[in-house]
Amino acid sequence: MAEVREKGYHHWEGQLQDKGRAFWPITRTGIKLAFQRKRFKFLFALSMMPAITFAVGVYISERLEDFKFMAQGAERTLQVNPGFFRTYLSLDFIFFMILLLMALGGAGLIADDFRHKAIQLYFARPLTRLDYLLGKAGVVMFFVGLLTLVPALILFLLKLLFSGSFKFFLDYPWLPLSIVIYSAFLMIFFTCYVLLASSVSKNRNYVIALIFAVYYFSEIARGIFYVIFRSPYSILLSIPGNLQQVAAAVFQVKPVQAVPWYLSFLVLSVFCLLSIFFLRRKLRGVEVIR
Amino acid sequence: MSAVIEARNLSRWYGNVLGISEITLDIEPGITALLGPNGAGKSTFMKIITGQLKANIGQVRIFGQPVWNNRHIFRRLGFCPESDAFYEELDGLEFLTGLLSLYGYDRKECLDRANRALELVELKDASRRPIRSYSRGMRQRIKIAQTIAHDPEILILDEPLSGLDPLGKRRIIRLIKEFRDAGKTVVVSSHVLPEVEALTSEIILIHNGKILARGDIHFIRELLDSHPHMIRIKSPQYRELARLLAPEEYVLNITFEPEASAVVFETHHRDRFFNRLNELVLDPGLDLEEITSPDDNLQAVFDYLVGR
Repeated sequence: MAEVREKGYHHWEGQLQDKGRAFWPITRTGIKLAFQRKRFKFLFALSMMPAITFAVGVYISERLEDFKFMAQGAERTLQVNPGFFRTYLSLDFIFFMILLLMALGGAGLIADDFRHKAIQLYFARPLTRLDYLLGKAGVVMFFVGLLTLVPALILFLLKLLFSGSFKFFLDYPWLPLSIVIYSAFLMIFFTCYVLLASSVSKNRNYVIALIFAVYYFSEIARGIFYVIFRSPYSILLSIPGNLQQVAAAVFQVKPVQAVPWYLSFLVLSVFCLLSIFFLRRKLRGVEVIR
Repeated sequence: MSAVIEARNLSRWYGNVLGISEITLDIEPGITALLGPNGAGKSTFMKIITGQLKANIGQVRIFGQPVWNNRHIFRRLGFCPESDAFYEELDGLEFLTGLLSLYGYDRKECLDRANRALELVELKDASRRPIRSYSRGMRQRIKIAQTIAHDPEILILDEPLSGLDPLGKRRIIRLIKEFRDAGKTVVVSSHVLPEVEALTSEIILIHNGKILARGDIHFIRELLDSHPHMIRIKSPQYRELARLLAPEEYVLNITFEPEASAVVFETHHRDRFFNRLNELVLDPGLDLEEITSPDDNLQAVFDYLVGR
């Protein structure tokens, strides 16, 4: 054996990182690859526009007297309260930007691995299927978090900063938790949504089309059903509609439709569970017959 | 020598399609080649021994431990898939460090190991180039680099020579032999007999999911020599050529292909046949356009061995 060692074996005495972090290199690589795309950087910068606008709104709301000349009649809109945060976190533009960023940075997460048959490279290493999925999920969560959780918490801190007191916090002590809960819900939902789409095909373009088509088709289906049945429950067919219903419940404001929020929560949760089930099945079948 | 890989009654099917059937074998240190035509079951066997597929029946053990769901084994095993499995946007060094980090090495160790592997496969100069710009040979070498970067004791190489030019093949063959010399166990799959001959004499013939023969390649060659060889010659004077060769005792059969201006000879003694052909070619007025061996491929070997 001594001979063998001399000829090539390299013995390492370092400490291997614990297995709980096995997913992290996959997440890191996914984030890095997304930022390597020029269009992604531009879109990511663009997706920060609502956050900047809302930050300006927070500032103006504390200086209404100074901005009276331009804020006439907009006092209600510029009121910073839980509804303000609900509006930010369920803004159509935010959802659209999440879809757009995920189309560029998330569509290929699993699809590319299928296309290049790279999955076998992962699973020939000390990595479980759960590690792999967590690694891929981390990429989507990171970007959705950057668009939702981080700006919303910063807006909350800005409100405290610009008001110069903790009155806002004392009025709504539960608000930071609502921001975290709803953002986490968005992160989980969009992660399941994007990874499911990405696992359906090896073709990234097809996945991109699917990400947008399913989202907007659900909204169209809602409209069609509403026209036919005139029932507010048609909102349960719509992805953005359900997200807004849940947002209203978490931020304790009036929902868009008079439909119990837990139904929307249930619809989205079932979707997530089915996605996870489907993903696990897809990853189990890493088989090539030639 | 004790077996490193032990497979017992392995069977795996995909719906109605049989992948492998009742494969039992022991693989010892050194180079062992899995030889079989496309669809023979080589990749299925490799996927089972690399823990990516679970056998429907039977078990495979590496270093005495079961492979399925045993993550510790994967630290001692390197797998080079046949297909290109890359992130094209990454450069060679990033690709290797990314995969090495999955083993839990710290960043510095990942870099050290990646650089060492790139040096071994002679890709150090191209380490900062994106993989999408790599040639076929370079891609094959970076795949081998990812296989060896964590210093595995067992290397599973699925068609490592496919698509390479002769120089590239020589490089990879030399590299694989170096692994053998370093005491590693190397399992190589191929469907090209001469490639395998250049690597090892220890072969396992797989066909239709079963082990057809196992042992020294020279034994297989002897079997082949007792089987008539077919030699197809295309020439404007194919009838004249047939007339000249027909009296030779080692020519067993002659078939004409007038539409292609060709003639097919069957012979037991290929060397004697070609010696005579060389003599004939020296005669002026006899032009040969093409000489091929329709049965000089692995499928023909298998057809012969299974008695078709």
